[in-house]
This record gives sequence, C-alpha cells and structure tokens, in this order.
Amino acid sequence: MYVYLYDNFLKHKRYNTVLTGVETRLTDYGIAGKILRLQHYANAEILVEDEIRKGAQTIVIVGNDATFGHVLSRAAVCDVTFAFIPVGPDNTIADVLGIPVGVDACDVLARRRKLRLDVGWFNNRYFVSQLHIPPSDIVVEYDEKFRVASRTSAMELVVCNLKPFVWQGKGNRYVVHPQDGKLEAFLRPVVHTGMFKRETFEAPSIFPFEEMIISAKKPFVVEADGKTSKEKRITIKLAKSRIEMVVGRERQF
Amino acid sequence: MFKPADEAMPHTSYTPPEASHDDIETVVGPSVVVEGDFASEGNILVKGTVSGSVKTGRLLTVEEGAKILANVHAGEAVVSGEIKGNMRISQRLELTESAKILGDVSCKILVVAPGAQLQGKISMGGIAIEGGAKEKKTSRRTRMSGDVIDEEE
Repeated sequence: MYVYLYDNFLKHKRYNTVLTGVETRLTDYGIAGKILRLQHYANAEILVEDEIRKGAQTIVIVGNDATFGHVLSRAAVCDVTFAFIPVGPDNTIADVLGIPVGVDACDVLARRRKLRLDVGWFNNRYFVSQLHIPPSDIVVEYDEKFRVASRTSAMELVVCNLKPFVWQGKGNRYVVHPQDGKLEAFLRPVVHTGMFKRETFEAPSIFPFEEMIISAKKPFVVEADGKTSKEKRITIKLAKSRIEMVVGRERQF
Repeated sequence: MFKPADEAMPHTSYTPPEASHDDIETVVGPSVVVEGDFASEGNILVKGTVSGSVKTGRLLTVEEGAKILANVHAGEAVVSGEIKGNMRISQRLELTESAKILGDVSCKILVVAPGAQLQGKISMGGIAIEGGAKEKKTSRRTRMSGDVIDEEE
C-alpha cells in the first residue's frame, strides 16, 4: 500500500494542474493510495509509524527539498521504503536521485528501483540533505585523528549528504555521492568582512569523514534540514544504508 | 635496415594521474591548519599548513605556499610547496621549481624541475646493475691502495 505525504505548500492553486496530472498517472499505474497533508509542526516519525501499522509499505514524499528533509529527519528510523515525487521549486535532491520534477516522477516510482542510502546523524536526529553552520569560531576534529582550525577566526561549515554543495564564488559545483560511505564537509574560512557585514569566503576546504566533532567556546548556530538550533558541541556521524529509497536510472551515484 | 625510432628505443610512456574534479577529494585551503594524523583514501590537495603525519594511497598535491611539517606516505606526489619531514612515495614524485624538501625521500620515479631544493637522502628501490657488487669491491680496493695491486687474486 502506498501513502502519499503532500507538503502544505501544495495547497496553492498553482500546483493543482501538476497534482491532478500526478494523481492520474498514479491511478494509471495502479499505485494510487492514501493522501496525507503535512502540517508544519507534524512529527513525521509518528505519522509514518502510524501508517506502517495500518499496512503502508511505501511512503511517498510529495514536495521539495524542504519536505524531503522534514520527513526523513524524523522518519529515517522507520522500516519502510521511501519514494519522492518532486513538485515545485527548490528541488536539487531530486536531480541527485535521478527523479524528474513533476508528473514524470511517477514513472520512476512505478519502476521501483530501490537503493539503500546513507544519512547523517547529529545530536539524536537524522539529516538527509545538508547541515550548515554559519561563520563561527569553531574547531573541527575528524574521526578522532586530526583537528582542523582556521588561521583567521571564523569558519563556515557545510556537511553535505544528498543536497549538493554549490560554491557561489566561481560557480563550482560539487556533486556529493550518497553511496560512497562518507559524508563530505566543506569548510570556508572568512577572509574579509566588508560593508553591510558582507563576508568574503576563501575557497572551500573539503574533508570526507565518518565522524566529526565540532566545538566552540561560544554557542554556534546549526541548521539541519531547515531546522535551526544553538549548540556548543555537536557530533556528526554517518548512518550507513539507513533508508531504502526508490531512485531513478539517471541518479548521480 | 633501420628500425623506426619506437622499435629501436622502446620506452614506456608514463602519464601522471590528475586529480579528477568529479571525485570529491580532500582539500586543505590556504588559511586552514590541520594538526594530527591526516589520512585520506582519495587524492589530497594541500594549499595550507599540515603538521603531524600525512597518508594517502593516491595522489598528494602540495601547492606553492603550502607547508607540510610531517612525515608523508603517498601513492604519488606533486610538490610545489615546502615539506619538512621524510617522504615515502610508492610510485612517482615530482618536484616543481618552487618545491623545498627537508628530509629523506624514497620513491620509484623522481622528477626534479630546475630550481627545486632538496636536502636529504634519496633512495629508489628496484635498482639492479649487473656486476655491481664485484665492481664495488674493486673500486674500494683501488681507493684504498691507490694502485692496481690486487692482493686477493
């Protein structure tokens, strides 16, 4: 049985045509199912667990990167197959997974090509897309082997899992492979702070890792899958093959 | 009668591996300082400072202005910066014009550009010269005696 989790933003009438097309295609394939609308504060883990109890075998996330992160940050612990129908703007993860945006994503879902994906874990919750620490005075320790610090004071840190890291400086684009058994951390020290506190960053330093400890004397901001918190010390780990996901043939890993 | 140059002088061409941009490699930026046992399975590109030890089975690139204060183990290496420590490279080591090495070096293939500075012992495995041991003995005797007096024969 298929359960479809629609993001709240899909209520807007501009998405009516796409959603009607998606639902028609799913009915044609015989994989239409129950539709649930996600609210902002809904705990996806409880929701998914409840649906598994009722017989759900595939949970399909319908929305964008934020929806994908919101659901899987909690529901990654659930033993069920996940799928994704990307709709609307801000869909970079779909490209990595080889899933086309809109109605054509139903074809990928119908083929059911499944793979187990790695996800990141930090302070008792998962993150699937990206973890971001804005410029702070942090010290990073990798795999309990070496420490990384900046000669200047502040550093920005981005840990990528599924969402590609795009460095705006020279338009370089690094595509992160979710199946490589590592997470990738991009560190960018602040070189110069100009007018209106606009920061100039150095070219990123890149470190693949399995476990990383980030600490600082003062609390720093952590954004993971759209959720923000303040921490003084965090441990980021890799949960290997944590989720089973329906992926497309054109995936980038 | 005359063989083409390729047949007469067989040579093996060597193409150094380049760091692929598709692979995520480890990059140490110019103002980043790394301390400890720095190890990676992939290529390492150093633009900043590393102290402790550096280990990779693949290509290590040390850019101009970068500094490594550590013993280095790598599959291959291209050095344009400074290294203070022993280097053990299993294949090819290339020192460019701006390279400065202070330490012993062990590798299979060594390429040194004019201007590169190297202070230390170089050892390259796999060298075999026929009759080397006998000639060595003779030359030693010659050096000691300074004449063609052969006491052993």
